[in-house]
Amino acid sequence: MSDPTTLTDPRRERLGALARRAAIRLGGGLLVLWAVATLTFFALRLMPGDPVLAILGGTTGNPTPEAIEATRREYGLDKPLPVQYVLYLGRLVQGDLGQSYSQHQPVTRVLAEQAGATLELTFAALVLAWLLVLLLTVVTAGRGRLIGGLASLAETLSAALPHFWLGVVLLAVFAFGLRWFPPAGSDSLASLVLPAFSLAIPLAGFIAQVTRESLELTLDQPFILSARSRGLSDLAVRFRHALRHALLPGVSLSGWAIGALISGAVVCEVIFSRKGVGRQLYQAVQLQDLPLVIGITLVVAAAYVLANILVDLLYQWIDPRQQEASA
Amino acid sequence: MNRLNFPLIPLCAVLALAGCERAEQVTTRSDQPLHGGTLVYATDREPTCLDPHVAGDMPQVFVAQQYLDSLVSMDSDGRIGPWLAERWQVSADGLSYTFHLRRDVHFTDGTPFNAQAVKANLDHMADPKTQSSTAGGYIRQYRGTDIVDEYTAVVHLATPYAAFLEVLAQGFLGIQSPTALKRSRDENCESPVGSGPFKVVRWDRQNQVELVRNPDYNWAPPTARHQGPAYLERIVWKFIQEPSVRFASLQAGEVDVIESVPPESHEAARRNPDVELIIAQRPGNPTNGTFNLRRAPFDDIRVREAFVRSADIEGALKSVYFGEFPRAGGPLSVATPFYSGAFERSQDYDPQRAARLLDAAGWTARDAQGYRTRNGKRLSAVVLIGARTPPSELTLWEQVQATTRQAGLELVIDQMSDAQVTARQAAWDYDIRTGYWNTNTPDVLRIIFGSAFVQPAGVGGYHQNSSGFADPGFDALLDDALATQDPERRRALYLKAQQQAASQYLQLTTYPQSTRLGLYKTAHGVRLEPSLAVTYLYDAWVSK
Repeated sequence: MSDPTTLTDPRRERLGALARRAAIRLGGGLLVLWAVATLTFFALRLMPGDPVLAILGGTTGNPTPEAIEATRREYGLDKPLPVQYVLYLGRLVQGDLGQSYSQHQPVTRVLAEQAGATLELTFAALVLAWLLVLLLTVVTAGRGRLIGGLASLAETLSAALPHFWLGVVLLAVFAFGLRWFPPAGSDSLASLVLPAFSLAIPLAGFIAQVTRESLELTLDQPFILSARSRGLSDLAVRFRHALRHALLPGVSLSGWAIGALISGAVVCEVIFSRKGVGRQLYQAVQLQDLPLVIGITLVVAAAYVLANILVDLLYQWIDPRQQEASA
Repeated sequence: MNRLNFPLIPLCAVLALAGCERAEQVTTRSDQPLHGGTLVYATDREPTCLDPHVAGDMPQVFVAQQYLDSLVSMDSDGRIGPWLAERWQVSADGLSYTFHLRRDVHFTDGTPFNAQAVKANLDHMADPKTQSSTAGGYIRQYRGTDIVDEYTAVVHLATPYAAFLEVLAQGFLGIQSPTALKRSRDENCESPVGSGPFKVVRWDRQNQVELVRNPDYNWAPPTARHQGPAYLERIVWKFIQEPSVRFASLQAGEVDVIESVPPESHEAARRNPDVELIIAQRPGNPTNGTFNLRRAPFDDIRVREAFVRSADIEGALKSVYFGEFPRAGGPLSVATPFYSGAFERSQDYDPQRAARLLDAAGWTARDAQGYRTRNGKRLSAVVLIGARTPPSELTLWEQVQATTRQAGLELVIDQMSDAQVTARQAAWDYDIRTGYWNTNTPDVLRIIFGSAFVQPAGVGGYHQNSSGFADPGFDALLDDALATQDPERRRALYLKAQQQAASQYLQLTTYPQSTRLGLYKTAHGVRLEPSLAVTYLYDAWVSK
């Protein structure tokens, strides 16, 4: 006989629904990854130009015909394209991303050496962006037209700043002018500061815009008035009551932001001479390094999918009403 | 030190304090080399493999010069001297080279250097599995090595190749430990082993390569300034891609030496008392646009010369590179052995002559845009520009476009991915291909203009001779030059070859490739190795 409480416990039911949702999203995520691998594979292989020549140094090289043949055989590029695709997919399923043509290393090793730095940079940028958002919006929202308008202008401006320009300005001022931070490298925490800021400032602009709007709406709600009437201080009302309601659009934007941050990381890693998969991807595309390009694309896509699943679940957790509507 | 400080005391009484400090700096700068310390070197491009036999791009040879020795050395006059080989004989037919080797050399993994090592290295470069395009390409004539005894090796070639010793002096053909070469290619890329003054200890990708001193080193080439171990304890070889960041790092003293100083920063470097510039031209075929002779309009020599004469390269170099890059007018750059200066002016800007040539070639009518036409067809040429071409090079071609337009010649600049450039090159679908070739031998003329190189290398390969020029007389000249060891005879033959190449107007040459180092005041004794103008840190030291 089954325990009646398991059937009716609303908390269990809620967790079960959450797990089902997670499973469906994960399945969808796998489908996305397969599509990414397939698209990248054909896009790169159907590009004009022979990867073997790129491996051997492009038009400036002078390889012998024997070297060209040996290289083509070594990477299986002499086989028909559909066969290459099936072989590639077979290895992929087993977790083998293949051998990078240009780096003379397995793709997994390149990723292991480079992904950490990019993760560090994007995570630092995301945290920094949220700090800036909270500082700016919670303090200035609903403070009258002048302050709100100025803050809103600052947000719009910073959202429009290109990473490249911002990176160069930060370098000029804080690395070469004031000498507070090193201009290049990825060895120390100090070298993380400038690239993280150049990624975080435009992102903070985006998130702050939506957060401000929903915060202002929330501050007009009756429950805020009732909180104030209980004698809570203004900041306490804003941080403890209004914020939770106003966060949702910003949180869902953060999922999208992971993608934006990684594309921004390519630029920042080049300008600040940092290690990372962004800079590596840039090089791999130029060198027609097919396994490396697919490997990095897959990892970035996986991070993106995973971040969006997490955001989705976080959404449900912050606002349980969402779950009932979708269940 | 003390002796040098003494005469400075009266000076201090006269000079302001700052001036006195300056004077002291000067004395430390010209001081005796200091042992120990770390030199931080920053360059733009990271090698994809540290073993220079594999592929063979310039960033590889710059690192290789620090940890590898070569069989022979080359001095700044292009003369070949001993190094790992003490002496050698060439057979009368030019097909066998007998090398007598030094007996006191060992690699940093303990493996002794001997005839077996010479064989293992040449075999490795020629092995298709090595994926060599530079070293392997330079020794296509290689047939095998006989080990006569422990320290005598005889190298056999298929055809006479007098440039063999010259290419052996290049760091691309540096000698590695045969024990290390037995490992997989990828392992050897990561941690190659040589017998040079430094050894590679760690490669942190996209960040830096660390090298430390080889304490046993006692076999420096005759071109070196000292003998015994290097002065530096350690080298940190960093990769800073952005030119402005690299230069600013040098000015801030964050790094001691930078490579590829951007030309726009040369003036700032000269004005900065803490920074010194070393600029050297590289030997080989200068930066150029090569004409495709296999289709109109450049199948006509008059149109080729007219294009060259209507392009104001001197003016373009002044505006694009601030006059920091000299003009290269001949098929070989100044630093190449057997270079002749006689052809430097054969490409001078002369729009009147261009107009006469085009009239004579029948391009007399003009269309609505002012371009010349013949039989209703516009005089137009396409230059391919790949994605990795530096922006300044593109600007240079835009300047060429502006000046040839005045002569009624349309230049179409076609920008595309590098892969597309390679494909269009293989299909001969271009009128002008940009390029250059760094090498220390005039035999480069055979690779870029010889008829054997019109054929593509292998299935889907591309041709090295992108002009399509094929002339039996020219081929014979270059083959003769390879068949003689007599320097005067080689000089005479290469003079003729340069003369023929120049008079055919096969390329619009622009400026020579160069190595441009910036040195902070902490770096001393940094030199360029003459064969390819590559940084050489064996004689360098730091004062910090």
